[in-house]
Amino acid sequence: MQLMSTIRSAKTAPALLELSADNWRLAVLVGLVVSALAVVTLPASGSFWVVGAMSALVAAAFAVNAYRRRYYGGLLVAPAIAVLFVMNIFPLLWSLGLSFFAYQSNLQSIRFVGLNNYIKVLTDEVAAPGNWSALINTAMFAVCTVSAQMIVGFLLAMLFAKQFPLRKYLLILVLTPMMLSVVASGVFFTYYYDPTFGILSYVINSVAGGQFIVMDSKAGAVAGIVFADAWMWSPFVMLLVLAGLVSVPKYLYEAAAIDRVSAWRRFWSITFPYIRGLLMLALLFRTIEAFKLADLVIVLTKGGNDTMTISYHLIRIANEQNKTSEGAAISYIILFIVIVLTNLYLYVANPKNREA
Amino acid sequence: MTATREINSIVMAAGLAASLVLGTTFAFAGDVTLTMAVPDWPPTRIMKKFFDEQYKPKSGNTVKLQVDFIPWPDFYTRVNASLTSGEKKYNFIVSDSQWLGAFVEGGYFRKINDLLNADPEFMKTFKDIHPNALNSYSTYPHKSENYYGFPQFPDVLVNFARKDIICHEAEQKNFMAKFNQKLPCTSEELDAMTWDDFKNVGEFFRRKKGEMLAGKPAEDDFYGIAFQAGKSYDFSSMQINGFIWQMGGDIWDETQAPTSKAEGVVNSPAAVKALEKYLSLIAYMPPLAKTGTMDIFKSDELFRQGKVAMSVNWIGLAEASLDPKTSRVSDNLVFGMMPGTKGADGKLVRWSNIGGQPFVLTTWTTDAQIKEAVEFVKWWLSSNIQHQFAAAGGQSAIKSVYSDPKYVTYRPWNRAWAPSLDWQKDVWHVPQFFELLTQQQDQYDLAITGRQDAKTTQDNIAKFQQRLLKEVGLIQ
Amino acid sequence: MTDRVSFWEWIGFRSVGGIAEAGWGRTLVVAVVSFIYFLPVLFIIFTAIKPQGLALSVPPTLSPTSFFGLIPDQFVFTPTLDNFASVFSRVMTAGGQPESTGFDRFFFNSIVIASASVLLALVIGTLAAYGFSRYPLKGNDTYLFVILTTRMLPAIVVIIPVILMFRAVGLSGSYLGIIMLYAAFNLAFTVWMMKSFFDELSTDVEDAARIDGSSEIKVFFKICLPQVVAGLAATFVFGLILTWNEFLFALLLTGPDTRTVPVAMNQAVSSGGRGTDWTLLAAIETLFLVPVFLATFFLQDHLLRGVTFGTVRK
Repeated sequence: MQLMSTIRSAKTAPALLELSADNWRLAVLVGLVVSALAVVTLPASGSFWVVGAMSALVAAAFAVNAYRRRYYGGLLVAPAIAVLFVMNIFPLLWSLGLSFFAYQSNLQSIRFVGLNNYIKVLTDEVAAPGNWSALINTAMFAVCTVSAQMIVGFLLAMLFAKQFPLRKYLLILVLTPMMLSVVASGVFFTYYYDPTFGILSYVINSVAGGQFIVMDSKAGAVAGIVFADAWMWSPFVMLLVLAGLVSVPKYLYEAAAIDRVSAWRRFWSITFPYIRGLLMLALLFRTIEAFKLADLVIVLTKGGNDTMTISYHLIRIANEQNKTSEGAAISYIILFIVIVLTNLYLYVANPKNREA
Repeated sequence: MTATREINSIVMAAGLAASLVLGTTFAFAGDVTLTMAVPDWPPTRIMKKFFDEQYKPKSGNTVKLQVDFIPWPDFYTRVNASLTSGEKKYNFIVSDSQWLGAFVEGGYFRKINDLLNADPEFMKTFKDIHPNALNSYSTYPHKSENYYGFPQFPDVLVNFARKDIICHEAEQKNFMAKFNQKLPCTSEELDAMTWDDFKNVGEFFRRKKGEMLAGKPAEDDFYGIAFQAGKSYDFSSMQINGFIWQMGGDIWDETQAPTSKAEGVVNSPAAVKALEKYLSLIAYMPPLAKTGTMDIFKSDELFRQGKVAMSVNWIGLAEASLDPKTSRVSDNLVFGMMPGTKGADGKLVRWSNIGGQPFVLTTWTTDAQIKEAVEFVKWWLSSNIQHQFAAAGGQSAIKSVYSDPKYVTYRPWNRAWAPSLDWQKDVWHVPQFFELLTQQQDQYDLAITGRQDAKTTQDNIAKFQQRLLKEVGLIQ
Repeated sequence: MTDRVSFWEWIGFRSVGGIAEAGWGRTLVVAVVSFIYFLPVLFIIFTAIKPQGLALSVPPTLSPTSFFGLIPDQFVFTPTLDNFASVFSRVMTAGGQPESTGFDRFFFNSIVIASASVLLALVIGTLAAYGFSRYPLKGNDTYLFVILTTRMLPAIVVIIPVILMFRAVGLSGSYLGIIMLYAAFNLAFTVWMMKSFFDELSTDVEDAARIDGSSEIKVFFKICLPQVVAGLAATFVFGLILTWNEFLFALLLTGPDTRTVPVAMNQAVSSGGRGTDWTLLAAIETLFLVPVFLATFFLQDHLLRGVTFGTVRK
C-alpha cells in the first residue's frame, strides 16, 4: 500500500521535479524513498525485490541519461560494476560490517563490539599466537613458493622461447598441471609422498636403504607443499614470461649480433626490459594467490608439522567453528597486507616511479 | 535475548515469505517430500534403497524421500553452511553426535519429546535403544531427558586382525618363546587382549622387507599394529579418550556443568599416563603415523593392503576389508573387541568412544512432514528393517534386534557389537565442541609427532578448555 | 661451416634471446624436460587405466606397456577401462546392483556453469574494458584497482554473506546464482586483459569511421571487436582454467542437481566412507581434464598473446 502511494505521489508532483526518462535525480529520490519504506515494512525477501526493482529504475535512468548526453564510458562500465557490486563488493562490505560485531553464525545473537575482534585476533593470549604463527608461516610459504615458481617458470620460458619442431605439443604438456583440480592433484601428492606406498620413498629406500619419510619434519612438510604448489603454478609464470620473450623485436638481437655483444649483456639490455613488467605481474598474481594457500595444506598435512597457513586457519575459524565475525576481522587484516604489497609492486613496477 | 528473538522472527518471516514468493513448498495434501542430507556411504545408500523398495506409508499419502548424498570430506562444511545460513533445505540431517549441542542451541534441530510422548509405540521402540547409544545420539544436554536424534548408523571401535599372520604356527611358537604368553589368534583371545598385549604384538611383528613373516619372506616392511593417530577432525581423540577412560582419567564432564572443572581433570596424572600409553604404541605403527596424517582411512588402507597384523578401527570401515576387490586380506580376517585395561579387580575395563551417527529432524519441518517423518522413523527402527539393515552391513542399537541370535551371523564383527555397546561413552555435546576438538587435535598432533610430551599436552588442553568453558559459562 | 657449431649451439642454444629458429636438438632437450614435468600427470592418467587392486601395489606399477622391454615387468600393469565405467555407474552397497553415480549430470553442470560464466564475464567485461579504454572516467585507475581487489580476498570471507544473499533471493542451488558469482570472479582479469587489447589498437581507423558517420555501436562491433578476437579467445581459456576447478563456492552454493565435478570428485576421495579410491579418482580427474585441455590446446597461441595484460606494447 505504502509502496503504491509513494509512486503515485511522485507521479502527481511534477511541479517539484520534471518527469523525464533521463531524470536520474528523481529516480534516485524515488528509489531511496521506496526502498527505505520497503525495508521497514516488508519482510526481507519481499523488500529485496522492491529494492532490486528500484535499483533497476535508477540504473535505467542513468543509462538513458548517459546515452542522451554521450557519457559512453559510464554506460559501458556500469554492467560490470553492477555485477561486481552485487556479487563481490556488497558481500565484502557486509563482512566488513560483521567484523565489528560479536557474531557466531550458529548462535544467531549479535552484538556491536567495535574494534574488539581486531584486538582479539591480534593480541589475545589464546587466540592471537595461532593467528600470528599462521601469518608467519604464510609469509614463509609465499616467499618459498613464489620464488620457486618464478625461477622454474622463468627457466621453462627460456626453453620455449624459440620456434622449434613440435613446440606446440610440448608446451601443452607443461601447461597441464595448472588445469588439474587442486583436490585431485593434492591427494595424488599424498600418494607420491606416502612412506609405505609412495613412489618417492620407494625410490629412495631402494637406493639408499633405510626408511625415508618426507613429511615427518617441518622442513620436509614445507618442501612437500611448496613442491606441489610450485609444480602446479610455475606454468602460469612461464606463460607470462614467454609472452614477453616472444615479443622482443628481432631486429634488436640482429643489431646486438653485429655488435658482438656478450650473451649476458644482451640478456640484460635487450631481453630483460621486455619481461620485467611481466615478471612483476607474475610476482603480483602469484603472491596474491600464495596468501590464499589452503587446499594443498588441508590435503597434505592438515596444518601439522607447523604448516598452518592463515587461509586454512581462517577456514577453521570462520567455517568449522562458526566464529564469523572473528574470521571477518582476520580476513580484513589479510586484505590489508595484500593491498599494501600490491601497491608496493605496482609502485616498483611502474617505470615512472622507478626513474624518479 | 531480545536481539536473538528478533533475528529469529525476522529469519522465520523471511523464510515463510520466500517460500510463498518462490513456491518452494507445494502444500498438496497427500504428497509429502522429505529432504535429507546424508554422507555418501553404504549405510545411507542402503537406507535410501530400502525406502524406495519397501516403504509404504500407512497414511496412504505419496511420500518421497529426497536424499542429498554429500561426500564425507565435505559433509560437515556443507551441512553447517546450509543450517547456519538459514537455507532451511533439509528436513532430516545425519549428524555426528558431537554436533548436537551446536545445532540445538542455534535452533536448527527439533526436540522430539512431544512426538515420543504422543505415540507410545514409538516411545517403546525408542526406549529399546541401548542407553549408551541413546545418550550419545539423542540427548542434549548430554544424558538429559531432552531427545533429538535416532540412530542411523551406530558404530564402535573393534580390533581387526589377520588370521594368516597371527595364527601361523611359527609365529605362535616364537611369540610364546619371547613373551611367555600365547599370541592371540581366535576372536575370544582377541577379546581378552589388553593394550600391553597389543603393544607386544606390535613389537613382535615389526619385520623388515625380506625377513621371515608367517613362513615366507616379507614382500615389504611389515608392522604389528595400527590405530588412528591423525590430526584432522577427531582422528586421534576418539582413540585417546578410550585410553583415558580405561585408565581412570576423565575428560571435562559436561553433565556436571557448571561445577565440574577442566583443569585438574583433563590433565590428571591418570589422563597423562593414558596419553603416554597411547603414544608408546605409535612406535610400532607404519611410518605414516610419524607424519600426523594417520587418520582412520589411512590405517584402514594399510590394513587392507596387508601391511599390518592388527588394527583398531570403526566397524563402519570394516565392510571394505571383507571385499576382495578392495582388500588383499579378505580371506583371513578375525575380529575382536577393542583391547582393554586390567582394572583393580583383574577384570578388563573397556571404555571406548562411541562412533556412528544419529539423524535428526529440523525445526522448520512442517506438521504434515513431521507426521510422515515419524512414520518413516518408526519404520526404519522396526525390527524387520533393522535386521535387513544389519544383514546388508549396517548395525542396530535396538536391543531386541542385536540380542537376537541371528544378529551375530550377519557379519564376523557382530559378535563384538553387543558387549562393546555396554562400554561406550561420548565426548562433549556442547556448542563449543569444534573449538574444543580442534585445539585438542592440534595438541595431540604435537605429541604424536614427538614435539611435546604427554604432560605438557594435557596441561595445554586443560588450560584452554578451562578458559573457553569459563568464558561461555559452562565452568564457574 | 660445421666446425664452428659448438655442442650448445647444436642442441639449440644458439643465442640467448634468439633470432633464428632452433632445430630438432632443442626439441629433444625440451621434450625431456617437458616429459619429466608432465610425469605426475601421466601417473594420474595411467592410474585411471589400472586395475583397482593394483593402485597401491609395492613396488608401484608405472606403465601399461613395457616399452619394448625398457621397463621391468614388475612395474607393468594390464590396462583396463573399467574405472571410466565406474565413474558413471557402480555398486554402492555390498552385494547391490550398479547404480548411477550422477556423474553424467555433474559433468554437464561443470561444462554449462564454467562456459556460461566465462562467456557472461566476457560480454560484460569486454564492454567495460572498451569503456575504460576509450572513454576514461574520472578516477579510471581507482575503478581498475578496485576491480583487481575483488580477487585478493580469500573466498571464505565473502561466503557467508553470499550464502545469506542467495538464500534471500532463492538463487541457492540454481544455475543462475553460481554462474553470476563465477562471472563476477572472472570479471577482474577479463577487464584487465581486454583493456590491454583495446589500448593496443590504433584509433585512426575508428576516428575515420566516425567522421564517415558510423554510429558508436557500429564502430565497436564492426571495427574494434574483430581486431581483438585473439584477446577474447585468450580470456576465454584463462577464465575457463580458473573457473573449471573452483571448489568452495561450488560446494556451498550448488544443490544436488547443479553440483559440479570438483565437488562430486570427493566421492572418490572418500569412496563409500573408506578412504580414497585411487583408480576412480584418477579416472574422474582424467575425464575432467579433457575439455579444458582441448580448449587450451586449440587456443594456445592466443593464450600466449593474451596473458601479457598490455604490459608489452608494440
